[in-house]
Amino acid sequence: MPESVPSSLIIDAFKEIFQVERRGKKRQDPLGWIISVPDTHQKSVLAALDKERSLRVLTCSTEDDANAVAAGLYMTGEPVIVMIQHAGLYASVNTIRGISMDGRVPIFYMIGLLSREKDKDPKDSRHSMVRFAEPLLDVFSIPHARMEGPDDVHFIAEYYRKSRERKGPAAVLVGLETA
Amino acid sequence: MMKPEEILKLIAAARGTAICVPTMTTAPAWRKIAPADLSVGCVGFMGGASALGLGLALGAPDRRVIVFDGDGSLLMQLGSLATIAGAAPRNLTHLLFKNGVYHTSGSQETPGGQGVDFAAMAKAAGYRNAYTINTLEDFKKRLPGLLTEDGPILVQLLTGLAESTPMTAGPSTPFHQQVAELHAKVGAR
Repeated sequence: MPESVPSSLIIDAFKEIFQVERRGKKRQDPLGWIISVPDTHQKSVLAALDKERSLRVLTCSTEDDANAVAAGLYMTGEPVIVMIQHAGLYASVNTIRGISMDGRVPIFYMIGLLSREKDKDPKDSRHSMVRFAEPLLDVFSIPHARMEGPDDVHFIAEYYRKSRERKGPAAVLVGLETA
Repeated sequence: MMKPEEILKLIAAARGTAICVPTMTTAPAWRKIAPADLSVGCVGFMGGASALGLGLALGAPDRRVIVFDGDGSLLMQLGSLATIAGAAPRNLTHLLFKNGVYHTSGSQETPGGQGVDFAAMAKAAGYRNAYTINTLEDFKKRLPGLLTEDGPILVQLLTGLAESTPMTAGPSTPFHQQVAELHAKVGAR
């Protein structure tokens, strides 16, 4: 059975990623950027991020904005993570294609699977927005993993690195609402 | 009506080390006027120039970032006005080339056409300042201030049509190459 992941574990993972990215760099403040269109599934993380002075959180009007802002930050050498919901993935597929895929901009996404039933694999969900997220990522050949509990937090660093290595998008799907 | 190319020539002469973000019909002309400068075009994701400029402005606070937006383009991502106002980058100048049509696709009128007041929208969204300029003389006089004034500012420029569009101008540098070049020049710090 999947489990909720505590927000503190997720934020620690973000910080470790950013610390590695900032090593030897002139700019150290902020440690890294979280570009977000608020996701109900990850709201405990967003609430905890409000108290993190070392990370800068920018809330965007749309996921299209979030992708373009992340690209601009990347081009200036800034480390960045994008937090959105599955509905935002659907809303911004053209921008993800244009920026991260065609533009070869490494963008790492945390995507919340809001309404995912605890006792079901997402492919068996009665909600289309849960069912189609992973198949959509497959269609675009975007590497992804599903975080199903605290033991899966390592996927965050792994898929962040994957986005850098392949110069394109990579994603971790958040299976259950974070704690 | 101002000619977009004349506006771009004035910017090229005054921009200093600013990063420029052209989109749609300003892109071919900017390539000719400033072929080797710090620029990245919004190509393949129409509407994204303003948010791309925001990311650049936040990541490079020591440089000016100038976005050459279009009215049809901005309408596709109008919420970016609030995103930019919320982030409040002091180094962002958002120029809006307003011609009232989708020039590239055949000059169909944009929703609301020339009646849409983007300067009022930007101000209402929370931009520090927003202006409308309709003569080249006025633009030339005010340009130095527009590139140094605390942002974010939006300048609505009432223009005619550009001489060429991305569809008539021939191939451009692929977006991924522009990204890699700007990252190498600005991001490798």
